[in-house]
Amino acid sequence: MAKWGMVIDLDKCTGCQACTTACAMENNTLPGESWQDVLFYHQGKYPSAQMKWLPRPCMQCENPSCVHVCPTRATYKDMDAGGIVFVDWNKCIGCKYCMIACPYGVRFYADEKPLLEPDLRDIFPGSNGQLWSPPYQNPEQDWKRGIGIQPAGVVSKCTFCYHKVSKAPAGTPDLDEAIPELKEYVPACVRTCAPKARFFGDLDNPESQVNRLIGDKHGVRLKDHTGNKPQVYYLGAGAGVPAFEPKPRS
Amino acid sequence: MNQENIMKGPAGIGLLAISAIVLLASFGYAIASLMSQGHAAFNATSTVPWGQPIATYLYFALASSGLGLIASLPLVFGFRKFYPVVKRCIFLAFAILISGMAVLALELGNVFRMLWVIPLNLQIQSAMFWMGVFYLVDLLFLLWKFQKLDAGEWDSKTSKQVGIGSFLAVLLASGNLALIFGMMSMRPFWLDGLLPIYFYLTAVASGLAALVFFTYLAHGFSRDNMSAPLRNLLEGALPKFFGAVLGGTLLFIAVRAITGMYSNNPEIHLVWSEYLFASPVYQASLWLGIVLPFVLMLTGSMRNQAGTQILVAVLVFGGLFAERFFFVVGGQVIPLFKGTWEWDILSYTPSATEWSLTIMGSALLFTLWVLGERLLNLSAMPPSAVMQEGPAAEAAAHA
Repeated sequence: MAKWGMVIDLDKCTGCQACTTACAMENNTLPGESWQDVLFYHQGKYPSAQMKWLPRPCMQCENPSCVHVCPTRATYKDMDAGGIVFVDWNKCIGCKYCMIACPYGVRFYADEKPLLEPDLRDIFPGSNGQLWSPPYQNPEQDWKRGIGIQPAGVVSKCTFCYHKVSKAPAGTPDLDEAIPELKEYVPACVRTCAPKARFFGDLDNPESQVNRLIGDKHGVRLKDHTGNKPQVYYLGAGAGVPAFEPKPRS
Repeated sequence: MNQENIMKGPAGIGLLAISAIVLLASFGYAIASLMSQGHAAFNATSTVPWGQPIATYLYFALASSGLGLIASLPLVFGFRKFYPVVKRCIFLAFAILISGMAVLALELGNVFRMLWVIPLNLQIQSAMFWMGVFYLVDLLFLLWKFQKLDAGEWDSKTSKQVGIGSFLAVLLASGNLALIFGMMSMRPFWLDGLLPIYFYLTAVASGLAALVFFTYLAHGFSRDNMSAPLRNLLEGALPKFFGAVLGGTLLFIAVRAITGMYSNNPEIHLVWSEYLFASPVYQASLWLGIVLPFVLMLTGSMRNQAGTQILVAVLVFGGLFAERFFFVVGGQVIPLFKGTWEWDILSYTPSATEWSLTIMGSALLFTLWVLGERLLNLSAMPPSAVMQEGPAAEAAAHA
């Protein structure tokens, strides 16, 4: 079985948020429930200020702290699914301990105050147990893996688009949208990336493009000191996330 | 011995009625909000997932543990002077724990599901799994211990064994509760291997506040209505112990604040400098809720006065509730990986629904306690305690 990993080249990312939009459309997430987001950081002052883009999906950690803390095994790492970390919505009790334990802030409890008004949950009220039911919805549903639109009171997160990836031919080293016969199996954020800053493939295959990129371009993992060991690697300048600074007080 | 307990009279009925009305009103409001809005009725968000209901649960659970530890003083360690408050301690520990669990139940996304998914999946790696196990064991031991004492078994072998078991359960439950926070290396404000010690100490402080307040309330805020051994305790060992525990609490807060402020890590020092110390509410709760009570308890003439003790108990209620709130929220206010989307410290203010849960828990505690005072004899103590301490205390009271 493959060990799915993602490589994001920050020298190519333009911060266009197409990946964020594609993810939201593919997975029918609510505003603010950004399973995939492009964060930006700024440092320094004009005229030498810098901005850094940081696309941030779930890291699908090798040693995921969210899995360790979950009291019900609702969050689990599935080695038979490429090492993707899932949330079983039939088991989640909504204690939110995984959200506390995740170092990357990539878990969401959509049963909260809406980010934007009007509330989409009021416009498209949920049916069949869903938190909301938009008019167009991805037909893929697998609540045991947190795929689809979640019910109320559970935690949701990026699944590396497992509903697409899982259909790829066995033994495929890389899922590259440039290869026509593979493009339907590529995660939405990777497929839509215009500057081709994202790559997706098998981290267990030494010949895969993702492994070659990590090796040749010195791929790094975010917050590696936490020991979570993400399956997402970053290339290029800008992978160093500046420490938090509060807004200057007037 | 219980004839002077005003809760057995009309005052008890009045307080029971008020508590029950507040309980029903707050529960009704919370349920109506949750049914109509879901957890959007809370101001907790994906960036600050744990808000006031968790802080309330923490406060109640630790106050319960503190009362359990105080009850262990005579039952496990032989401090016989504490016999007059043992039954009230155990009953209060039970009532407060139930109240805390009720608040937690309404905070969870799917509370009933937990009844089968936790036992069926046995995730022993999770501290939260053990929290459920240890607090359930703690609750059962409290009931068992109370049943033994209620049957007059103060010194039997079984009673002592149950007392020791209960003491261990309390240590495990509250220590593990501390580690739910203390083991989170990705939340540096909480990460602390010694957090269980801090929790034990502050648990006893909040337990003592509850014990003092409810003991005086049961006796109409007058020592004249109390038995001699109880009066003796309230004029001697208990206020000294209370003062020492408050001093220890202050020391712990000071040590955490100094190490936190000194640290370069913004996820620790900014929480202290920009969130805790920058908040007038935190400042007020620290100075009025912990420092002032400690100062009041320093001199013997002050700490032995009934008025001082009641005032200190009420101030410590507020001080430690705020301490729990700022501890829980403080661990989350530095935005985690949000970049310039969130470029300031996060703010969180509890919603009306979250406040209604805190009020509901408090009203449930009062309701259960009044029922306990009316239906049970919470002032009972072994005959030997009355024989040994009664005459001396009477003499002291008349002197």
